[in-house]
Amino acid sequence: MAVYKLTYKSYEGESTPAWSRFLVPARFNYAKLTSIRFLMLFMTVSMFYPIYGAIYVYLSANPSFLATMGFMPFEIDGKFFFTFCQVQGTLSYLLVAFISPSLVSWDISNGALQLYFCRPFSRLEYVLGKLAVILPLLSIITWIPALILFGIKSSISEWSWTTENWWLGRSAVLSMMLWCVLLSLIGLAISSTVKRRVAAAAVILCLYFGGAGLAGAINLVMGIESGALFDLAKVVETIWADLLRFDSGSSMTVWSAWITLAILAAICLWLLNRRIRSFEVIK
Amino acid sequence: MNVDHITFDNVSRFYGEVLGVNRVTLSIPPGITSLVGPNGSGKTTLLNLMSGLIHPTEGTIHVLGIEPRDPRKMFRAVGYSTQFDSFPRGTTGRQFIYSFLRLFGYPSATASTMTAEALDMVHLTDAADRKIAGYSKGMRQRVKLAQAIAHDPQVLVLDEPLNGLDPLVRAETLNLFRKYASQGRHVFVSTHILHEVDMISDQFILMSNGYVVAEGQIQDVRSEIRDHPMQVTIRCKQPHGLASKVFEMDHVVEVRLHPDGKGVLVLTRAADLFYRQLNHIAMEDFGIESIAPADDTVKSVYEYLIGEDSAR
Repeated sequence: MAVYKLTYKSYEGESTPAWSRFLVPARFNYAKLTSIRFLMLFMTVSMFYPIYGAIYVYLSANPSFLATMGFMPFEIDGKFFFTFCQVQGTLSYLLVAFISPSLVSWDISNGALQLYFCRPFSRLEYVLGKLAVILPLLSIITWIPALILFGIKSSISEWSWTTENWWLGRSAVLSMMLWCVLLSLIGLAISSTVKRRVAAAAVILCLYFGGAGLAGAINLVMGIESGALFDLAKVVETIWADLLRFDSGSSMTVWSAWITLAILAAICLWLLNRRIRSFEVIK
Repeated sequence: MNVDHITFDNVSRFYGEVLGVNRVTLSIPPGITSLVGPNGSGKTTLLNLMSGLIHPTEGTIHVLGIEPRDPRKMFRAVGYSTQFDSFPRGTTGRQFIYSFLRLFGYPSATASTMTAEALDMVHLTDAADRKIAGYSKGMRQRVKLAQAIAHDPQVLVLDEPLNGLDPLVRAETLNLFRKYASQGRHVFVSTHILHEVDMISDQFILMSNGYVVAEGQIQDVRSEIRDHPMQVTIRCKQPHGLASKVFEMDHVVEVRLHPDGKGVLVLTRAADLFYRQLNHIAMEDFGIESIAPADDTVKSVYEYLIGEDSAR
């Protein structure tokens, strides 16, 4: 046994707060995403409807101007925000299909997870770091514009409108936030499961747009209506309509829609827990 | 518990029904420890257990007194380099090292300085701002080593770190290992290059089928293998005379003349006794120039314990 000079001294300087370290992996993801022109273009296009909505809200508070232009007066109500949720919800889904496939799959296919987890960095922090990439981008086109629209309407209306309709703003923001979290989980779960970027994007899109076809086929073949539970758009619209107190004409019960979303979220978390590990057993 | 050692206490790890490692008990002192064994013998599982990436199904592990289930403490002490190329896509060498240092909580300026130092140690400063995807195999190995040493760990766990390195860089890397070991750190190296294990290792661990077959210093392990007589090469001017003399010893089972006619190879079952008796023989006029063990190498031990085919 050799005799060693014990000259080693470990680092004793300052450290950054532990809670903030989950943002480290997001840094390079952001740098990469912001360099993609298509993404910037998409984000710009995604703001068209909120701008249209802002003009609509402004006009709703000017009945005399509407009369001059020959339009009927209209109200900002649950239907307005429901339509907002439909449009921005679809755009946000497309955004997730574009940005999320590579977020986890590249780390898995490149074997980088081992490197993350042989540092003082947990799996939860890793997932939070990836959510920190998706959620802000989704927020920019979903609940933040919804909140701004509600704010505009409140600022140009009587105070009584705000007190009577504050639930509308709360429900619109809540609806969009719920959607953002669910979309992020779906995006990360599929990214962690499907290694090829294009295939992952296709699976994400199929889940949304293919669900309607699957639901229709199930209903047609089996002569039931509960096949609609496979239609993610219908499910979430049922919840939005309930929160916004708007009758969307959906025959689905609200509780079944909530349970469906909960099951979907649980599946996503299960997939993330299964796939985001420091090692992979090669069979 | 010895807080300078890495200890495995009856550790087993199974992947479902597949055996990773079984009943491993080790106490590894500081220095360079080489881990050798055939493919699938459990080397990477042992390294993953040591670096806290996986946890044992049974048994306990302590790295410098720290349990691997305490990642905040554990990973500050351990630097790990994987066998396979593993990098976040699209990063440069500098970004790679820097961003992973930030995960330890080093402030930006400190992380930048440590990144530059690590890259300098592996001679990658010039290529630091190029994307890793464009690196050669040797450069990738070096950047992996750089990320393992960047946070100045007390335990270096390196899975096949010498693969793909050219001779010059390999020599420099081995010097780096020696420097780390001389500071009282652990350098744990899994490798297939057996002659380098002899050159650099303070101790070695030989694995097969998930079990530790042998561990310790190579001479000690070799002397324990009694099925195979020890081989000693003696270079001398009178090999024929020396051969007949040593063959009179009871414990000598075989004597071969060296092909160049300037020495003999002796196979003995009692090396210590042989060396003592050889002191007397050396007084006679055989012109003995050198005496050296011929098979107390990791390669020989590997061949004796695992099999000749696996050692190639």
